[in-house]
Amino acid sequence: MSAAPVQEGVELTPPTMGMTLFRLIIRVAGRAPAYMLLYVVCACYVLFNAQVRRSCAPYLRRRFPRAVGFYYWWHCYRLVHSFGRSILDRVIASVLGSDTFAVSLRGRDTLFRLRDEGRGMILLLSHVGCWQMAVAAFAALEQPVYMLMHHHASVFEQRHGGGFAFEVIDPNGYLGGALEMLGVLKDGGILAIMGDRVPPREKNVVRVPLLGGEVALPVSAYHLASSTGAPIAVLTSHRRDDGSYLMEVAEVLEVPRALGRRCDSYRPYACRYAAVLERYCARYPYQFYNFFDMWQ
Amino acid sequence: MSEEIKQKIKQILVEDLNLEDITPDEIDDNEALFGEEEGLGLDSLDAVELSVLVNKYFGVEIKDLEEGRPALQSVQSLADFIVSRQGK
Repeated sequence: MSAAPVQEGVELTPPTMGMTLFRLIIRVAGRAPAYMLLYVVCACYVLFNAQVRRSCAPYLRRRFPRAVGFYYWWHCYRLVHSFGRSILDRVIASVLGSDTFAVSLRGRDTLFRLRDEGRGMILLLSHVGCWQMAVAAFAALEQPVYMLMHHHASVFEQRHGGGFAFEVIDPNGYLGGALEMLGVLKDGGILAIMGDRVPPREKNVVRVPLLGGEVALPVSAYHLASSTGAPIAVLTSHRRDDGSYLMEVAEVLEVPRALGRRCDSYRPYACRYAAVLERYCARYPYQFYNFFDMWQ
Repeated sequence: MSEEIKQKIKQILVEDLNLEDITPDEIDDNEALFGEEEGLGLDSLDAVELSVLVNKYFGVEIKDLEEGRPALQSVQSLADFIVSRQGK
């Protein structure tokens, strides 16, 4: 499921056998039967798998605090189905080609301007919509994108991710990949980091408000920006009703130079990022894919 | 020269990276800088910060992993790296 540094806890991971079955159906019969089957599979997951329902609960209880009974189950189903569809879209893209889905980029001029300033650029992504599809839009930047991602997740993406190319920096590498990330930005390169999950054993976090509670977010992206002078483009992606994907530059963060070592110095920027997430959840409530208790 | 650099590095570690319960004089030249269970226990954020501070105070840039990994092992290795770069 996730292709980014993962929070310790529950992960909804599609079973390999199921993925193989879907690939076979897509190859033999096309997309429509696969989408039909997905309705049934997701319904079974929600009805018969308590772990799935538990994984949805922390987010849904905050996004839909008044939903009880059938309505809560309905939200749960829609969230799981939306997540399943994002995975299925990637599988379809990997089988039928990445041009199967239209991916558009809103804020292209902003990204080009930031790229051309030569200060390096941090793309701050989140587990929303389908960031793997969004990566396809990065091709327009005509520059390699380096992504902080666990090796095992990158293997999954290569197998099921739709063939979108990016270079991988493994957070399990020396010093969490910090020097590699620093090297990319110093060379004026583009670095993509997930901003909404705290990697295991990461202590450099700040707590910021989100959906009526407080969540811990890592500060590494803001610290790197402050250390190198690179701007941060906060990107979101969502699946539209017509099945296409839209990637948006939701916000550009300019973090002042040399803010230093204290995590609290980066809290205002993490707050602005969290505000982007909050707005996203309001507009696309079923495309927020953090299936663990962020508010714990 | 190298002694001065080592002393300055130790001062940076304590004052700029906010190392607690230790003074510059208590830091061994060959003590590991990074690692959860050994040495000074610095982390990835400190690595980035230290790289910036080395550039600020010594005018030497640690460009990437290839340069940084051997240089950031200890105060001694960092001082050696700085001396070698300043000599170029």
